[in-house]
Amino acid sequence: MLFTSASRTAGVSRRGLALVHFDWWLLAACLTLAIFGIAMIFSATRGVIDPVVQNRWTAQIAFLVIGIVAFFVGALLDYRLLRLAGWPGYCFLLGVLVLVELFGLEQNRAVRWLSVGNTVVQPTEVGKFVLIVVVAWYLSRYYSEEKRLSVLLLALGALVPPLLLVYQQPDLGMVVTMLFIIGAMILISGVTAAHFLVLFGLALAVLFLAYGILQDYMLDRIDMFLNPTAPHNLDDVFNVDQALISVGNGGWFGRGWLEGTQSQLFYLRVRHTDFIFSVVAEEFGFVGSCALLLVFGFLLWRLVRTMELAEDAFGRLLVGGVAALILFQMFVNVGMNIRLMPVTGMTLPLVSSGGSSLVSTLFAIGLTQSVNLRRSVRVDAF
Amino acid sequence: MCPAHRPWGLKAVFSAPAAGHSDGSGRHVRIGVRLALIVLLGLLIGRLYQLQVRQHETRAAQADTNRLRTIELPAPRGLIFDRNGELLARNRPSYQLAIVPEELPDDDLDTEAVDEEYEAILRILESLGPNLDRDAVLDMQRNLHQSLGWQDYGRILEHAEVPFSVFEISESEFNALLRRTGVAGAPEESVTIEEEGAVTASMVGLPNLNQPLPIEGLAHLIKNLAQTRQQGNSSEPFPILTGLSREAAFTISEQSFLYPGSRILDVSVREYVYGELASHLLGFMGPIPSSLAGDYQERGYRSLEEQVGLSGVEAAYQDNLRGEPGQRIVEADIFGRVGRTIEEALPYPGQDILLTLDIQLQRAMYLALQDMLTTQDAVSGVAIAIDPRSGQLLGMVSLPSFDNNIFSEGLGEAYTRIIEDERKPLINYAIGGLYPPGSTFKIVTASAGMEEGVITPRTVIVDEGPIYLPSKFFPDDPSQAQEFVSWNHHQDFNHGPLTLRQAIAVSNDIYFYYVGGGYPQRFIGLTQEELARWARVFGYGSATGIDLPGEVRFPVPDDQWKRVNWASSWVQGDSYNMAIGQGYLLATPMQVLQSLVPVANGGTLYQPQVVLQITDPSTGRTQGFEARSIRDIGLDRVTLDTIRLGMRDAVNSVGGTATRGRIEGVIVAGKTGTAEFCEYDPALDDCRRDEEGNLPTHASYLAFAPFNNPEIAVMAFVYDGGEGSTAAVPVGTAILDAWFTIKGQGSLEAGTG
Repeated sequence: MLFTSASRTAGVSRRGLALVHFDWWLLAACLTLAIFGIAMIFSATRGVIDPVVQNRWTAQIAFLVIGIVAFFVGALLDYRLLRLAGWPGYCFLLGVLVLVELFGLEQNRAVRWLSVGNTVVQPTEVGKFVLIVVVAWYLSRYYSEEKRLSVLLLALGALVPPLLLVYQQPDLGMVVTMLFIIGAMILISGVTAAHFLVLFGLALAVLFLAYGILQDYMLDRIDMFLNPTAPHNLDDVFNVDQALISVGNGGWFGRGWLEGTQSQLFYLRVRHTDFIFSVVAEEFGFVGSCALLLVFGFLLWRLVRTMELAEDAFGRLLVGGVAALILFQMFVNVGMNIRLMPVTGMTLPLVSSGGSSLVSTLFAIGLTQSVNLRRSVRVDAF
Repeated sequence: MCPAHRPWGLKAVFSAPAAGHSDGSGRHVRIGVRLALIVLLGLLIGRLYQLQVRQHETRAAQADTNRLRTIELPAPRGLIFDRNGELLARNRPSYQLAIVPEELPDDDLDTEAVDEEYEAILRILESLGPNLDRDAVLDMQRNLHQSLGWQDYGRILEHAEVPFSVFEISESEFNALLRRTGVAGAPEESVTIEEEGAVTASMVGLPNLNQPLPIEGLAHLIKNLAQTRQQGNSSEPFPILTGLSREAAFTISEQSFLYPGSRILDVSVREYVYGELASHLLGFMGPIPSSLAGDYQERGYRSLEEQVGLSGVEAAYQDNLRGEPGQRIVEADIFGRVGRTIEEALPYPGQDILLTLDIQLQRAMYLALQDMLTTQDAVSGVAIAIDPRSGQLLGMVSLPSFDNNIFSEGLGEAYTRIIEDERKPLINYAIGGLYPPGSTFKIVTASAGMEEGVITPRTVIVDEGPIYLPSKFFPDDPSQAQEFVSWNHHQDFNHGPLTLRQAIAVSNDIYFYYVGGGYPQRFIGLTQEELARWARVFGYGSATGIDLPGEVRFPVPDDQWKRVNWASSWVQGDSYNMAIGQGYLLATPMQVLQSLVPVANGGTLYQPQVVLQITDPSTGRTQGFEARSIRDIGLDRVTLDTIRLGMRDAVNSVGGTATRGRIEGVIVAGKTGTAEFCEYDPALDDCRRDEEGNLPTHASYLAFAPFNNPEIAVMAFVYDGGEGSTAAVPVGTAILDAWFTIKGQGSLEAGTG
């Protein structure tokens, strides 16, 4: 049983910081991705007339600075305190989604935003991190020890209302993201084979049902992905076609930074966010895009390592959830760029333009270091 | 921060934690998570390999199609000058507003109330501001009507609920119009219209193109045209307004990013300085006709919208004048904004052409002929002047003429007027009209008679009045005999005994009947083979080979020809008719003049030419004139002299047929022609005749001067002009007079200078 070890270190709360465990490699990978992202945002927004878009790369630098601070704040924060945020977190998640449902702002035919002061926030962006904390708390608190199916099913039942509310917005991408995180964390918590089979059966049933109740635009996007030549939302088709041309145009070594014709001449759309990977692929080629993926792989590898070094189930699940989130976003975004995945409007973590995403991702990764730094010194022999 | 003892090698970086979790499930998760990570990354990398390495070529080509635009750089067309360096055809800049369908914004389906494409076109039209005046609107809607066809034009406007004025014509008129304009399937159209509106079946509504449409209507029409063009060549701009002012053109093109889909085309249009004076000779330009599209593409013409010479020198020397257009490959962004140039091949300018034409002489010819047509109330006429020493064409007028400048910018009302003119002004009758040559053919009959030994200069034939050829079937019945008269018999006098020289001077027909066909028991004339052969020697039956398009020819009639075409054998009367240039014989005015050239120059038949020199402006290399002799016709000195003297007498002796042809200080030799022709009149079911039963006649006159050393030979021809001596001789004489006056001024200027 996986968590026999966790129970052995149940008394770690007495231990303080072990700075020697700080993962410099992880920070280096994050900074590499973020700085490379800034260079790509510069390339992607060059020549755009809109001054806001044109200044995205300077804004990204500012957000990176804030993000680094958030990283260390997360690392210094004792993650164990987050265990206290279990019930409140769940309530917050549900409450904020209800607020969106009642008072949300409509943009592009979807109600996902809340107006706070002068700015507009998307609660689910924070919500997915809250979800990680809630699930980690619940699974570590109730499931890991006893491994009862009823605990697992109860957890899933409790998560249905928030997921339905997100689906209602509608935001299929977020629903799938959350499902992936939940699924990954259940797997990490060491699900038994029998439980796994039950869950798998449930998932299949839901999938069949879902196809009946999926909303039109979602079906469209999935259909477009499965059958790209049929007439669908012409913008999506155009964007993906241009992304494929951009990626293919890169060849082995790419056309060079600021030299990608598809991106510099605006044939590629939503370049600095959804399709930034295509800019990378066009300007740095197969070699460059593989290098980027390998840095992501390295980052995730380090997170997996941190996860496994964690000395309690909560920490392990927390890190696993963050890793799952980054992996999922990365895979879906890159997959969308190369038509392995449908268009979902998901950005590439750490690389795509977007301040709140960068800061929150860095904070979350910082939190994993909080787990890392609170290990006993003994274990880390090398 | 890091302790020195800490290992930083790869092993440490990727190391799994020490085995603290000994249970199986933990290891499974550990391996599973790593495996999943590797598989997912492998999936992405595999797909990237497929896209970036395997499909690189095709994807890069797609990217190039996206960004690269080929801009044709038309070569400046060669200029055309007359023999004295007077500019005849030049290029003038002109601006066109065009639409590039591909660059128009797509209709965003999310905004249902707004049609982005239509709005963009509307903005382009509004950008014209005051330039979009009534004339511009009318011009635009005519072009759109032409491109879309009257049916679509009406349907689009109706669908868009744009009011437009309609004029109604009766169905029969409408059908006649369809037939006349050659619309395919005209009869079916009439049927459907009849069925659709049973009550108003007799009337058909056609869009009235003389009432300007509102700007919205234009935008709807342009949008529809853009959509039809989007299939295939959507990156090719199509002009919607020609003749834009320079200022308007610059304003719009400077702000082109505000008006996606608009393009200002900087085109060069041809300008003919002398307009209708030399329109047939110079020709005109227009887009490549669809029937010749394949032909032009084989010759390397990339755009079928390219303007090419369609007639005259413009067509004959199209490849010389055109040069080699260049090409610029540029990069454009998604909005159509053109950035850097990737590749450029500069155009190679067309060659300049110096014609053999003398524009001053041409003007004199035009005016003289025009005058005569007015006086004689004749529909058409031709005047040609040639240098008999080389075959250089000095002038060529065919009337009615037209202003070839109207083809340069759009096809407006003036074009319709020309097309609908029943006199067919576009035809160059000098080389495109076939007429009986009449007495001007007697040169050939005389030469044949002399060379075949039928006559000598001293042979005397007596004109005692009309002669009668006995009927083949009733040789003893004089009332069945066929009567042949000479022109003078209509005026009740006989010429009496005549030598060849005299016969030519007075243009006696009896003499040539005898020579051409003989007379039973009295005179052995030429056989039909001999006469036909000599006609061919003088160039009849084949094209003159002048370097202009549109020349026609007619075979020399002979026994075999008549059997094939008329299913009967050649009779003596046919020889009689042919001997005086009548009967079955037909020739172009150019051909008749060509036959005079060997007589004037001593025996060489030349191919007429219009180009004196071709200059390549970039290298300065020139290609000079070379006379092209077709053959030496091998006339005996005596034959030549006799005919020449006869022609001199025609002008200079009392009783000559062309005594009005004398000019001061120069001895002229000439030969008139008055050729009867049959103009079929459906009302009579026969040829048109005057009150006395005479057939109408074409008037013609051939002359050369100076007699001893001829430097110019002219042909004047007036269709249905009456007598050659009254209708054609004054024209020919005016031309010769003008030539020697111009030359005199030239030498005077040269002398004083």
